[in-house]
Amino acid sequence: MSDDSQAAAGDSPRTAAARDDASTCLMESHHREENQTKPCEYDPNVNQDELIMAQEKQIAEEIKANTSMVGSLAGLGSLEEEYSNDPVYSSKVRTLLPKFSNVRRTRPDGNCFLRGFIFAYLEYCIHHRDELARFKKYLEGSKEELFDMGFPKFTTEDFHEMFMEVVSDLEGSGSVGRVEAVCNDAGTSDYLVVYLRLLISAHLQKNAEFFSFFIEGGRTVEEFCKQEVEPMYRECDHLHIVALTAAVGVGVRVMYLDRGEGAAIVSHDFPEDKEPIIHLLYRPGHYDILYKA
Amino acid sequence: MALKRINKEMRELERDPPGQCSVGPIANDPFHCQATIIGPTGTPFEGGLFDLRIDFPDDYPFRPPKVWFTTKIFHPNISDRGSICLDILSQNWSPTLSISKVLLIICALLTDPNPDDPWRKDIAELYVNDREKYESTAREWTAQFATA
Repeated sequence: MSDDSQAAAGDSPRTAAARDDASTCLMESHHREENQTKPCEYDPNVNQDELIMAQEKQIAEEIKANTSMVGSLAGLGSLEEEYSNDPVYSSKVRTLLPKFSNVRRTRPDGNCFLRGFIFAYLEYCIHHRDELARFKKYLEGSKEELFDMGFPKFTTEDFHEMFMEVVSDLEGSGSVGRVEAVCNDAGTSDYLVVYLRLLISAHLQKNAEFFSFFIEGGRTVEEFCKQEVEPMYRECDHLHIVALTAAVGVGVRVMYLDRGEGAAIVSHDFPEDKEPIIHLLYRPGHYDILYKA
Repeated sequence: MALKRINKEMRELERDPPGQCSVGPIANDPFHCQATIIGPTGTPFEGGLFDLRIDFPDDYPFRPPKVWFTTKIFHPNISDRGSICLDILSQNWSPTLSISKVLLIICALLTDPNPDDPWRKDIAELYVNDREKYESTAREWTAQFATA
């Protein structure tokens, strides 16, 4: 039970209140004392927002201090131990056991799906050089596509360059250890995450007519991308995963560990017709990497 | 990482300065900058020079810079303390934005205020219900606070 709430809270430093009320200004923090004498601009939300922001920051710092961006390989037994007092989850973990042997935990900072995805994919590429070559070619071409779609060249090229450097480096001296180092280096890892977000945004906008049916809140696909895809630390939802796997052409299977009835585990393949090469474990609000037995 | 990106932006601003504004570090510290925006023509801010402060966070560009006016300005989306109500400076910041883009967006906000998301409800109401009064007051403020 406690882990469920931990995962949910951990991956979502933004509170519902802060997220829902996008129109509320969160930046007010200078010369607060002046506010007392200016009732015309007194906004009862201000202090609450400051509180929320401070709280978010504290949660983010704690998460940063306590978890690596992508952790080391652990046996699936560690999951079983986590849920030893939770009959629903432990019976489900036991269902996973024969199929999967290991798990790698990711930092629950809203980027967990993307970090899990890119780690697992690059690790796969280490053992499948032809896939690495294909990915490199795809990446090379993706830059122009982003420019054509209006992503600012000046900044987008930085994220692209970093990705190309990482892939070229892996081509030469690729090892799992190298992938671990790259994905845990704050600068590099975050640059990769940003570029994946741009690829998702581009794919959604390119296919806006189709994706517009799945977007809630009366927003356009472009608005959705600006609000839920491109900013860092925004959690990835179904739509993000559909877009990324389709854009990169990589099959991902997500195993859903939740409170649904029975010991069976629901899984979903993205895209549905593609043989998965990456396996991720989903627990409410969080993704970790799974390894097949 | 942050410094590398900030320096890149500063070099670009020097090489290709945007027409309506200028930016430079305060006391050689690239994390703290000052910017000046020329009041857009055809707005009540025309003829004014508006100073802003820009503070970059350690994890820039993954989190937004803090940007606020240090010159007083009469505008629905700018508080009396200079804070700017703009989604890209908080929730909807994207790492592909740059200071140059942000300043352009602020210029656009001066031209087209957004009364639906105000800092100053009184100014927003004036902007919606009595445009003439809004413009004359904004012009007075520009003359009083933003001209040398």
